[in-house]
Amino acid sequence: MNIDIDCLEKRFGADRALHPVSLSIPSGALVALLGPSGSGKTTLLRILGGLEFPTAGRVRFDGCDATGLSVQERRAGFVFQHYALFRHMTVFENVAYGLRAMPRKTRPGAAEIDRRVTRLLDLIRLPDIGRRYPGQLSGGQRQRVALARALAIDPRMLLLDEPFGALDAQVRKELRRGLREIHDSTGLTTVFVTHDQEEAMELADLVVVMSMGRIEQVAPPSEIRAKPASDFVRQFTAA
Amino acid sequence: MKAGLMRARSPLPGFGLTFGITMAALSVVVLLPIGALLGRGIAIGPAELWQMIDTPRIWAALALSFRAALIASLFNLVFGLLLAWVLVRYRFPGRGLVDAAVDLPFALPTAVAGIALGALYAPNGVFGQLLAPFGIRVAYTEAGIWLALIFIGLPFVVRTVQPVIAEIDHELEEASATLGAHRAYTLRRVVLPILTPALLTGFALAMARSVGEYGSVIFIAGNLPFTSEIAPLLIVIRLEEYNYDAAAAIGIAMLVISFAMLLAINLIQIWSRRRIAHA
Amino acid sequence: MPDVILVPHRDVTTEPRLVRGLLVGVVLLLIGILLFAPLAAVFASALSEGLRASLESLTLPEVRSAIRLTLMVAAIVVPLNAVLGIAAAWAIAKFDFRGKAVLITLIDLPFSVSPVVAGLSLVLLAGAQSSLGAWFAAHDIRIVFALPAIVLATLFVTFPFVARELIPIMIEQGRAEEEAALTLGASGWRTFRTVTLPNIRWALLYGVLLCNARAMGEFGAVAVVSGKIRGETTTMPIMVEMLYNEYLSVAAFSLAGVLALLALVTLTLKSLLEWRHADVLAATRRH
Repeated sequence: MNIDIDCLEKRFGADRALHPVSLSIPSGALVALLGPSGSGKTTLLRILGGLEFPTAGRVRFDGCDATGLSVQERRAGFVFQHYALFRHMTVFENVAYGLRAMPRKTRPGAAEIDRRVTRLLDLIRLPDIGRRYPGQLSGGQRQRVALARALAIDPRMLLLDEPFGALDAQVRKELRRGLREIHDSTGLTTVFVTHDQEEAMELADLVVVMSMGRIEQVAPPSEIRAKPASDFVRQFTAA
Repeated sequence: MKAGLMRARSPLPGFGLTFGITMAALSVVVLLPIGALLGRGIAIGPAELWQMIDTPRIWAALALSFRAALIASLFNLVFGLLLAWVLVRYRFPGRGLVDAAVDLPFALPTAVAGIALGALYAPNGVFGQLLAPFGIRVAYTEAGIWLALIFIGLPFVVRTVQPVIAEIDHELEEASATLGAHRAYTLRRVVLPILTPALLTGFALAMARSVGEYGSVIFIAGNLPFTSEIAPLLIVIRLEEYNYDAAAAIGIAMLVISFAMLLAINLIQIWSRRRIAHA
Repeated sequence: MPDVILVPHRDVTTEPRLVRGLLVGVVLLLIGILLFAPLAAVFASALSEGLRASLESLTLPEVRSAIRLTLMVAAIVVPLNAVLGIAAAWAIAKFDFRGKAVLITLIDLPFSVSPVVAGLSLVLLAGAQSSLGAWFAAHDIRIVFALPAIVLATLFVTFPFVARELIPIMIEQGRAEEEAALTLGASGWRTFRTVTLPNIRWALLYGVLLCNARAMGEFGAVAVVSGKIRGETTTMPIMVEMLYNEYLSVAAFSLAGVLALLALVTLTLKSLLEWRHADVLAATRRH
C-alpha cells in the first residue's frame, strides 16, 4: 500500500508541530523518519496511525482519502515506543487481542486464533513465551512481542515509534535484522521513527530527514550521505 | 459541546460522556447546595449578615473551633512527622500493626470515636480517674476538644509525609555526613527541608478537617456557650430552632474559612512544585 | 582519633540506637493512648454487661431499622460514587482540556467543607423554606428529613473518595495501552473494559472501601438533614448518638461496636490491598 501525505499541518495552539509537509511513500518501502526530538517525526507517525489529527492537509492510502478514518478503521500495525503491552495479559493474550476484538462476523474461532498466535510467536522466534507476562520479559523480547501483536491484525502497514530506542547496542543490531526480515517477508509498507542516523541509514530504503516540523530531505541513504540537501542534514547525518 | 472546543482532539472516546457525568454530578451534589448557602447569604445582605455573625457567642464558637483545630493540628504536625519517620526508617515489632492503625480515624465513624473518648476521659472513665488526682480534667473542657481533633486529624500528616521520607536518597544524608555534619545537623538542614512541603500540606489538610469536625467533638466537649461550644454545633442548634438565616450566617463564615484553607493548600502545592523545579 | 576505632561501623544515615529506641517507645505509647485505647473502650463498654446483653440490644426494632437504613444508603451511594469516580478520572487522566486544575479542586472541595455546613447547604437548597423544597412538597416528594437527603448528604461528603484514588494511578499509567488497543481495532468501550479497568481494579476497590467506610459512618451531614426521626431516618451513627444521650450505654456501645468492627474489617482489607497494590505498582515501574 502506498501512502500519500499532502500538505499535512499540525498545530498545538500557537505552536506548530508540523509545518505543511508532503511526502509520498511507495508501496512496500521501508522508510525511516529521522530527526532530533521535537522535529515532528513522531507527530507525523501518530497522524498516519490515527492517534492524532492534523490541523490541515490530507493523508491517502492507495489513493483513497484516509484523513477522517478512525484509528480502528486504519488497521495500521503500530508499535509503541515503550511497547504499551497490556501488563495484565499474558503474551499470548496480548498477541490475540486484536483478533478477539474483531466484530463477530469476521472474528476467527478459538482454534484459528491459537494457530495464528503460535505462528506469529514462531515468526518472532519466541515460540515458548506465550504464557508469560510482559513484566517477565527482557526489553528485546517485549519489542518483538509488540511487533507480533501489531502483525496479528493483518495490518495494511507497519508503523514503529523509536522501535529500538530503549535497547542496548547488541540487542538493537539483532532486532534491526529481525525487522528487515519481517518487512521483506510480509512486503508491508513500513515507517519507523528514529533519532539515530546510523540506524536509519542501515535499515531504511528511504530516509526522511526532519527538523523543526519540516522535511529537510527525502532520499535513499547513499544519496543523503553523498548529497545532503542542507547544512542541517549534513551536520545531523555526520554525527 | 463547548468543552470539545477547549481540548485537544484525542483518539480515545468518551470525553463528552465522562466530562458530562462529572459536571452534572458535581453540580447536583456539591455546587448547587453550596450555591444555595451562598445565595441565602446574598439574600440576607452583607450588612445584615455581618450583624448576625458579629455576636460574642458566634465569635467565641468560631475562635474555639479555629484555636482547637490549630492546637490539635500542631500536635499532629510534630507527632505525625515522628510517626512517619519511625514507620519508614526503623524496624521494630508491631510496625505493620501501627502502620495499619494510623488509618483508624479514617475508618472509624466519628460518633463512635466521640463516645469512646467520652467514656475514657469522663471523670469515672479509665483515663479520667487516672488524671483526676493531678487535677487534670479533659472531658467537658477545651482539652477534650483538642483530644478529639488530634484523633481525627492524626492520619493526615503521617500519610502525606510517609511517601516523601521513603523516597529520600540515602546518599544525601551520606554526603552531608562526609562534609562533617552531625546527625542532628543533617536532619535539620538536609532532611527537614525536603519534607517541609509535605508537612505543610498534611498540616493544612488536618486543619481543614478539624475546623469543621462535629461528630467526635460533641460527645467530649461540654457544649457550653462561650467556653466549649464549637461553630458546627451552633449551626445545628440554630437549625433546630428553625432559624435558617442565623444558621446560614455561621455556615457562610465557616465556608470562608474552608476556602481560605483550600487556597492555602493549593498555594503550598504550587510553591513546592516550583521549588522542586528550581532545584 | 579514638572515636573512629570505637565506633567503626556506625551508620551515618540513622540515629543513635538509644534515640531510636526512645522514639519508637514514644510512638508506641502515644498510638496506644490515642488509637488503641478508644477502640478498646468501645468493645469494653459494649460487653460491660456480658455478650448476651450486648447482642440483645442490637435486636431492638429501632436499632435494626437503623442498620437497615445504613446498609441501604451505602448500597445506593457506593456504586454511584464508583461510577462517578471512574467517569471523573477518565475525563481528567486521559484528556487534556482547559480548566482541569479547577475541576480537580472542585472534586476535592468536599474534603475541606464541614459536614455540618454540607448538611446545612442541602437543607437550604431543598428544605421546606426554600422554593425548590416548596415545589417538591407540592408534588408530594420528600427530600429533606427523608432518604433522598441522607443519600445526597452522604454523596457530598464521599464525593472525592474514588476519583482521588483513580486519578493519580490513571495519569501514571498514561494512554499508551489504550491507544494500542484502539490501533488493534478495539472499540472505546472494549478498550475500557479489557485494558483500563483491569489496570485500575485494585485502586478502584481501595477507593470503594474508603468510600463505604465513610458512607456508613457519616454523622455530621446526616445529623443535619435526617431530622432524626426514630426508626425512620436514623442511620447507625445517629442511633448511637440517641442511645448514648438516653444513657442506654450498652446499646449505644454495642451498635458502636458493630461500626468499629466494620472499621477493623475495612483496615484489614485496606492493608491487604496495599500489600498487593505495591506489587502491581512495582510491576508498573518495571515496564
